[in-house]
Amino acid sequence: MYILIVGCGKAGSYLANSLSKKGEEVVVIDKKESAFNNLTSEFTGFTLLGDATEFEILEEAKIEQADVVVATTTNDNVNSMIAQIAKEIFGISKVLARVFAPRREEIYRQMEIDTVCPTTLSVMEFERAIFDS
Amino acid sequence: MRYIEVLKNRYRLIVKYLGILTIAVGFFLLLPLLFLVFYPSEIDHLNYFLWPALLAISLGLIFWKFGKNNSTDVILSLEEGGIIVLGAWIIAILFSSFPFLLADKLNFTNAIFEAVSGWTTTGLSVINEAETSNLFLLWRSLMQFFGGAGLAVIMLSAIIGPHGLGLYQAEGRSDKLLPHVRRSTKLIMTIYSGYTLAGIVLYWLAGMSLFHAFNHSIAALSTGGFSTKVASIGAWNSISIELITYILMLLGTINFATHYVLLRGDYKTFFKNGEIRILTFLMTFFIPIIAYFSLQGLYESLGQAWRVSIFSVISGLSTTGFSIEVFSNWNDFGILAMVILMLIGGGTGSTAGGIKLYRIYLSFKSLVWNLKSHFQPENIVVKNYIWRGEKKLYIEPGHVREIANYILLYLITYFTGVLIFLTQGYKLQESMFEFASALSTVGLSIGITAPDAPKIILWTEIVGMTLGRLEFFVIFFATVKLIRDLKLIARSN
Repeated sequence: MYILIVGCGKAGSYLANSLSKKGEEVVVIDKKESAFNNLTSEFTGFTLLGDATEFEILEEAKIEQADVVVATTTNDNVNSMIAQIAKEIFGISKVLARVFAPRREEIYRQMEIDTVCPTTLSVMEFERAIFDS
Repeated sequence: MRYIEVLKNRYRLIVKYLGILTIAVGFFLLLPLLFLVFYPSEIDHLNYFLWPALLAISLGLIFWKFGKNNSTDVILSLEEGGIIVLGAWIIAILFSSFPFLLADKLNFTNAIFEAVSGWTTTGLSVINEAETSNLFLLWRSLMQFFGGAGLAVIMLSAIIGPHGLGLYQAEGRSDKLLPHVRRSTKLIMTIYSGYTLAGIVLYWLAGMSLFHAFNHSIAALSTGGFSTKVASIGAWNSISIELITYILMLLGTINFATHYVLLRGDYKTFFKNGEIRILTFLMTFFIPIIAYFSLQGLYESLGQAWRVSIFSVISGLSTTGFSIEVFSNWNDFGILAMVILMLIGGGTGSTAGGIKLYRIYLSFKSLVWNLKSHFQPENIVVKNYIWRGEKKLYIEPGHVREIANYILLYLITYFTGVLIFLTQGYKLQESMFEFASALSTVGLSIGITAPDAPKIILWTEIVGMTLGRLEFFVIFFATVKLIRDLKLIARSN
């Protein structure tokens, strides 16, 4: 599978390392060169320096060939924009975005973009931990 | 001491990988025996290959057993990859020299020399091709085939897939074609084998027998240069065979990532590539001047001078080492021009040796950038980039420094080697030519390399070929790490 990950922060790099180790083809985009230091030597994919909201960069990353696009930047708006570009313009069937504000999840649902919300997830985990004990 | 435990565990994994590679070397040794079907008269060679093969396989199994690791989660660092690569090369070279020793064909030094020359795809030889059986000629070619592709890389990443980039970078085959090591390696092997097959067919159509076609196609593409004839390609004296050889040598010297761009039909990016540009430049510059200043007097017809010039320039620059004529009668101009070309060498991430076109190209680029910066506004911010593979590569100052260091180290080693040659009483131009040929894994010879050459010369060349092929740093940091860790382990016991 060809997986394009936007954002190489803690989550993005973790995901990239683990997917690469599993044998998938992974390309990671980030604006900052230093972000790529988060990648361990498990990662054998490509890194691409640049702003993923720019078409040129996405095309350089061969987004049109991607099977999955994951937006993991720390900015909800950037994630939503990239996810929309991937979905609407490049027609990628599976697009995942990280979204911090739970309220925004509904909008994504309407656009048929799968989301992962760290806030909701941690709240759920907290609740589970509280009531289990 | 938890660190010691961790360290021991990691070394166990290294030993395990080395075991797998040793087993692989054992199987490589069996390959020439497949050709016994065609040459049944050489059945007496069976023992020369069978015993080393069995020895390698059983030793490999012992290593593998010893290293059998409980955790597969260990990720190899670049240094550890370096230790594997270095170890694998030493094992491969030792075992590859056994057949020559068992057949009583060569003494120890010469057998090691031949094996190193094969694995490093140099092509300098201390055996007389005319008196060598087919099986041994095939064995030499096979060493070049695997040596060209990168022993550890192809074995480990294609078959078991190591955890990490360490190995990939350690063997100097670091350009990735696809965003995953294993698939990259497979693609490289497909391109490489495809070209080899095409080469065999072309040679065969041009009139070589299948045996010679097989050997020469491998030797040209791996930029190795072992021939099956004493006179090398010159033995055929055929323009069409030379033409095929040019193409194969050039293909061999071009970076695999660039091939990938070319094969997909992206010619624009192909010609933007710095290595291709400098390769074209060097060829168009040196072919005429060598023909004019050096060869005009040697050959009666202008055509012949050009023919020799084209062939020699491509052979030297691609670090292949096939020849169609001798070099001993060239004048000083031609010799020095060839020395320069050989030191420059071929492309990175190809099967070639030398300083590499990429490093030369980037050094020149950085010189131009530097000069330019003096004429630009003081506060200008420039992002310098070059084209590599299929994408832009922005150049950081640290990268340029690394390359400058490499070139310096290369030249220091080169001149040290030349000095060693001079102590043995060889002439300056001969020494410069021969050691450039060894260090850049070219394989052209001006006549110093011979079975009866002084041992010190042969060993200097052996060291030169190995350093040149593995690109120095791997050997240095692998050795340093190994010594340090062993000291630590020894102290804790």
